[in-house]
Amino acid sequence: MNCMDKGPSNHHKERRLSSRSNSGESDDIIETARIPTSTGRRKRNTSVSEPISVIQTTKRAIYTAGRPPWYNEQGEQKEAFIIGLSGGSASGKTTVAEKIIQALDFPWVVLLSMDSFYKVLTPEQHEIAEQNEYDFDHIDAFDFDLCCETLGNLKQGKKVEIPMYDFTTHARKKNTKTLYGANVVIFEGIMSFVKPELREILDMKVFVDADSDERLARRLRRDITQRGRNLQGVLHQYHKFVKPAFEQFIEPTIQYADIVVPRGGSNEVAIDLIAQHVHTQLEIRNLNFRSQLANAHIGQPLPSTLHVLDNTPQVQGIHTILRDQSTSRDDFVFYSKRLMRLLFEFALSFLPHSDHKVETPQDKVYDGRKFSGTGLCGMSILRAGETMEPALFSVTKDIRLGKILIQTNLETNEPELHYIRVPRKIHEDHVILMDATVATGAAAMMAIRVLLDHDVKEENILLVSLLMAETGVHSVAYAFPRVQIITTAVDKQLDSNYHIIPGLGNFGDRYFGTE
Amino acid sequence: MPSAMVTANMATNEPEVRSNLQTEIDNSPVFYDDNPPQLRLVAVNDQIRRLQTILRDKNSTRSEFVFSADRLIRIVIEESLNLLPYSSKIVQTSCGHPYEGIKFDKGNCGVSIIRSGEAMEQGLRDCCRSIRLGKILIQTDDETNQAKVFYAKLPKDIHRRNVLLMYPILSSGNTAIKAIEILEDHNVPQSSIILLTLFTTPEGLNSVITNHPKVRILSTEVYPVAPVHFGQKYFGTD
Repeated sequence: MNCMDKGPSNHHKERRLSSRSNSGESDDIIETARIPTSTGRRKRNTSVSEPISVIQTTKRAIYTAGRPPWYNEQGEQKEAFIIGLSGGSASGKTTVAEKIIQALDFPWVVLLSMDSFYKVLTPEQHEIAEQNEYDFDHIDAFDFDLCCETLGNLKQGKKVEIPMYDFTTHARKKNTKTLYGANVVIFEGIMSFVKPELREILDMKVFVDADSDERLARRLRRDITQRGRNLQGVLHQYHKFVKPAFEQFIEPTIQYADIVVPRGGSNEVAIDLIAQHVHTQLEIRNLNFRSQLANAHIGQPLPSTLHVLDNTPQVQGIHTILRDQSTSRDDFVFYSKRLMRLLFEFALSFLPHSDHKVETPQDKVYDGRKFSGTGLCGMSILRAGETMEPALFSVTKDIRLGKILIQTNLETNEPELHYIRVPRKIHEDHVILMDATVATGAAAMMAIRVLLDHDVKEENILLVSLLMAETGVHSVAYAFPRVQIITTAVDKQLDSNYHIIPGLGNFGDRYFGTE
Repeated sequence: MPSAMVTANMATNEPEVRSNLQTEIDNSPVFYDDNPPQLRLVAVNDQIRRLQTILRDKNSTRSEFVFSADRLIRIVIEESLNLLPYSSKIVQTSCGHPYEGIKFDKGNCGVSIIRSGEAMEQGLRDCCRSIRLGKILIQTDDETNQAKVFYAKLPKDIHRRNVLLMYPILSSGNTAIKAIEILEDHNVPQSSIILLTLFTTPEGLNSVITNHPKVRILSTEVYPVAPVHFGQKYFGTD
């Protein structure tokens, strides 16, 4: 594996964020980050690699290994584990980072480079940089405030926008990379340990130590053979910027490191130790989530945020048809759609409204009401939640719709996040979160957590579902007491497979005919 | 505003009903604390108020108007179906557990009063895929101001069925009264007729109740000013 430069250079080379984001469309909000695990099958010339557990569709990737819960049963965040990597230019930080990722053998790992946080240069500085005289190896070349903020948010599990630095203009590109959903973040850069506020964020600090001759030799080889620069230029740059920077800023930070890795990427013992430590830390944070949900809150009164559609004869009649195992799919689809429509009309009444006077054609003023929120978004939890989209469209016309795929891991019985796509500027909006049924509430909680991570206000979320189990209601309400929970019926029990009793079977299977 | 389901005792306290109506009339939406038992108002919430507002607003686009009208119609239709007879039924769920539910009885039909009543046909069809539909055309004679029947095509066995009579705007009540008379001519008992409206005036309500006290009336709002532009705007002939 060759070692492409990650350190600063005065050459206008193409740089890119080293996060493994699968976004092909830069204007799209969300991409989950992920890195291949122990495949070794990786191309260094793209920022997107192909992990084996990914199914590529025409446009985007679907993950077969999802993200397990990153919050506890109270809905609180478990923080992401942040590994800081530092070391001189050409010391082998990237190689070490990649080896760690392989050794971790763990999905939802993000590699973030400090290169993304170079400062935007003034026109004068830009001129200097054009002449290869700007010092990119200086502490002042980095925007540490933005770097701390971004890394801090990533640690909190929030969605973050990573700036894309353009080395030809020395400015940030208009579009950013959206990162969301990392359990482990590897942050690498020559100045990683320089600022105390940045060190504070790092859970583990690894310093990659390579002999200075070795680093110079590597840098020479790389810059001359791969970038067509002459010996003179590289040496000039090395002596003027790279070496002083290392001695002044970088080398002293070795004292902050938890682990010093001599010989860089070839030091397998060190990499194994690091991977082991991260695994231990993640196991401590991990919880057997779903069974905790199912057993909590037995016998408690139902929460005040729960709103059940009036149990009219029609609702009872439709429920009878949906629950009947002998109902044909034709009828099942028809009547579930009717029930969904009733449910959404009911759900919309929980949105904020204000007085609104209108002129009538009869020349009288009419005291009416109107929706007083900023906007409205739908968010369906795939697959079954998707069945509710047509009914939502039939009562809201041109609503913006996001999707989230959560699947139960059949081995662990835990929900796992596989795919998300969230409408832009969702944070101001009220969000109608849809799932056909809610049993333990595990998937719904994951979806709510995702929305909160996208800065949606908890009180602006409406969880809308055809059928819920009592335990699911409790779990969601306990973790997210301000989320409105709206349904057509609440069943008492769950069986050992976490199916609702008496329930209506697997909604998605019956609706789509995949049973 | 929930209203109790109307089942019995329909023709008894008619004088109270009338006085009640007369005292309540003012310029704001009227919700009776003590509804006439024949009237069932859909439980009003903010969404329904919003739909009513869009239908009232003269600045609403036609597309908004039709969209909101269809939503409100659907709500009224769903509510009307709750008034139809049913019996209990126990089914087995896919998980193998019994579920005590209900089953709606057969023997219903819809009748729309041309033309605005036809706007409600699709809503009914969307809920009851194969329900029989009759139509009645009634026009007001310009000279005598009397409602006159031009056309009526009804299911043959309509006298054995519950009839959902669809007419979105109950203003004077004359047309609806005439339509009920036709149904009665076909031997439909008053107690089998449910008049489905979106908006009704106290006057129209009063008039229908006086003439046909056993007919049940469903609406979302009782208000002195009727949005009589409904048919024009819905069908785009304004």
